[in-house]
Amino acid sequence: MKALLRGILTGLLVWPLLLAAETAAPPEKGISDDVQTLKQQVLELNRDLFLLEEELLFPSNTQVSVFISLNVGEFFKLDSVTLKIDGKEVVDYLYTKRELDALARGGVQRLYIGNLRTGDHELVAFFVGKGPHDRDYKRGTTMTINKGLGPKYVELKIVDQTSNFQPGFEVREW
Amino acid sequence: MPKRLLHFFLFWACLAGSAGSGAVSVKPQEVLDLHYGEVLFHFYQNDYFTAITHLLAAQQRNQLPHHRQEAELLLAGLELSYGMLDQAQARFERLLDQDTDRELRNRVWYYITRIAYQRGRHHQAIETLKKIEKPRDKNMRAELALLNANLHMETGQNEEAARILKQASVPERWEDYLRINRGIALLRAGKVREGQAILDKLGDQRADSEELRALRDRANLGLGYELLRKGDGEQARKYLNRVRLQGPFMQAALLGAGWADTERGDYEQALTPWLALMKLSGHDAPVQEVHLAVPYAFSKIGDNQRAKYFYKQALDFYDREQQYLADAIQAARSGALVSLLSQTDNDAGISGGWLNAHPTLENVPSGRYLVDILSGHPFQETLKDYRDLDYLEQLLHNWLKNISLYHDMVEARRLAYEQRAPRVRQRLGQQEAAALRQRWQHFQDLVQEEHQNGDPLHLATSKEKQQWKTLQDIQEKLTSLPGEPRYRKIQERARWLQGTLYWQIQSDYRVRLRKAEKQIRELDTLTGEALARHRQVSTALADVKAGFDGFDTRIAALRQRILALLPGIDMARRDAGEHLQKLALKELETRRQRLSSYRLQARYALARSYDQVSQQPGTSGDGVQQ
Repeated sequence: MKALLRGILTGLLVWPLLLAAETAAPPEKGISDDVQTLKQQVLELNRDLFLLEEELLFPSNTQVSVFISLNVGEFFKLDSVTLKIDGKEVVDYLYTKRELDALARGGVQRLYIGNLRTGDHELVAFFVGKGPHDRDYKRGTTMTINKGLGPKYVELKIVDQTSNFQPGFEVREW
Repeated sequence: MPKRLLHFFLFWACLAGSAGSGAVSVKPQEVLDLHYGEVLFHFYQNDYFTAITHLLAAQQRNQLPHHRQEAELLLAGLELSYGMLDQAQARFERLLDQDTDRELRNRVWYYITRIAYQRGRHHQAIETLKKIEKPRDKNMRAELALLNANLHMETGQNEEAARILKQASVPERWEDYLRINRGIALLRAGKVREGQAILDKLGDQRADSEELRALRDRANLGLGYELLRKGDGEQARKYLNRVRLQGPFMQAALLGAGWADTERGDYEQALTPWLALMKLSGHDAPVQEVHLAVPYAFSKIGDNQRAKYFYKQALDFYDREQQYLADAIQAARSGALVSLLSQTDNDAGISGGWLNAHPTLENVPSGRYLVDILSGHPFQETLKDYRDLDYLEQLLHNWLKNISLYHDMVEARRLAYEQRAPRVRQRLGQQEAAALRQRWQHFQDLVQEEHQNGDPLHLATSKEKQQWKTLQDIQEKLTSLPGEPRYRKIQERARWLQGTLYWQIQSDYRVRLRKAEKQIRELDTLTGEALARHRQVSTALADVKAGFDGFDTRIAALRQRILALLPGIDMARRDAGEHLQKLALKELETRRQRLSSYRLQARYALARSYDQVSQQPGTSGDGVQQ
């Protein structure tokens, strides 16, 4: 019966698993190399398609992009943004935790991209969220932008105003 | 390299390395180019594919003038995060030089080494490891020593691994990790006594963290089994007893404890851990094995009735397990397993990436048999490849649909152009802007002349001019009339009125001249713009056709590129799927064989039990049958 014990012991997978937990066979290198090359090619292709799409849908002469950024955000926790251009609502965006986190780290979100004729246009943005002392907070900001011949970039900035411990909303044309 | 680059990159490195110990809290980076901030927005959401695409597009459009250098570093980091190890390495090699901060360089090469190691590219990992200079950060030194030792163990250099771990100078909190790994390396190198000495000391110590406790369990288990293999049941039991009953190695420890008892000839004692193990409804090897071990122990202590009972129970258990395994093998062969695995993504909406969390095994049939293989690097890396390829394939199919729409869009615009162009050309042919400009030029000359030889009457209003002419006519008529006093009086009156009118016009002259000059200046701008627009429209009209043709060419070329890439992606995805299937099937097949072996042994042992019972005095053949 000792043979049975030995047989069972050799059948144990525990020991090799235990000491070789980190030593499983490497994946086939060919697949991984192919995937890297394919990723590179698709990324370059995707870039070219992305550029084509933007040039076709939003030609530079009419293109307007509105970005949003957050500077610290201690006095305001953003929930959503509504954007109106010339009285027409173009965006009503609700934020996820992940997006807010990305904004808080310094990321800038392109909230809107569209087309406008050259000339003056009224831009109104409403920011909804929680203000100081966790109170519901809604603020609007208005500005007139002048659309010239090239693409127009506008940045909506939410900043903390330490002077009055209130959030501030700035608009900057780039 | 600017300080803020280092600052940022450490931030990246901390993000990328979930196991990194050097977590540094940093303020958000100042964004000077909107498009760079937009790339960061995607990067911070682990959406690497979109981030790389937008970064490449922004670079192509020269939209990152203030972040040129950082963008390259970020791109390399993104490539690394997206599993493009070779591209990332090549880019880092270009970017990081001797002027780069040493800690930054070390951290970059550490992550590349770690990912290469995870991918099973041991030679590449060894090469990149050499680029790491002695880090100042002691935590980094510890991580490095562990990685280096693991790499050596992977390549069978266990003694060297033990030496590396011994020589590493690390903070106190890392010491236990290094010692345990050193003990394991020594055991693997065959130096059981030395390994035992290290692990024995550690195995009895208090552990502060769950990770350390699990590692301690692993060390005790490893040592226990090694001693068991050498036939030292007494010592083996000592180490196996140290393994926690609520830890991940509990089942193996219970099984081993039983075997350690049998090694000492104490079969009754062996039943205690084995019966406890048998009550667990696990599907792991120890639970399967214990179904055979329990009746074996009963037979050894002479309780053949119980032995028979448990052998029969083992046969039923193995039959059921074999059926489950057969179903699992069938599911794996049909491709259902890989398909399900590719869907079990708890991070939906993200365009792939290598640093995302591992997939869960919920809803995956046979997942319980595949825990070990599924959690291993080879399977995980291939699974990530498979998912990324799946995403890329879907993306390209979507582009293929969209690009057809864009082609139609260009066609519609071309049609609209062809309808409108003749009318526009006709209006352009009328040269309205040029005529306006000519008229402006005329007025400009007049004002210039007025400036030089001013005649106030030139700037009289229409009404004044009319009045002036009326007074002029009156005087002319009066001149032709006889010189009667009443006519002379009227003539003087008219002259007086003319003088008054002239005086009024003259006194206002300077103001009028300035006003005229101002208007001329304004008209200069307006007529200039009209002319410029005329030229723009003329140029645009000529360029539009070329633009359409340009779009046609680009669309056709891009469509070709999509079509050329799709078969390669499909093939690579299939290869990855087949590789996953092969790995899963190999594991399932091993389990099936092991179960068959257990079942065979159980049958054999049961038959022997019947045989023994039948040979006992006073036992009838019917009894054996029962």
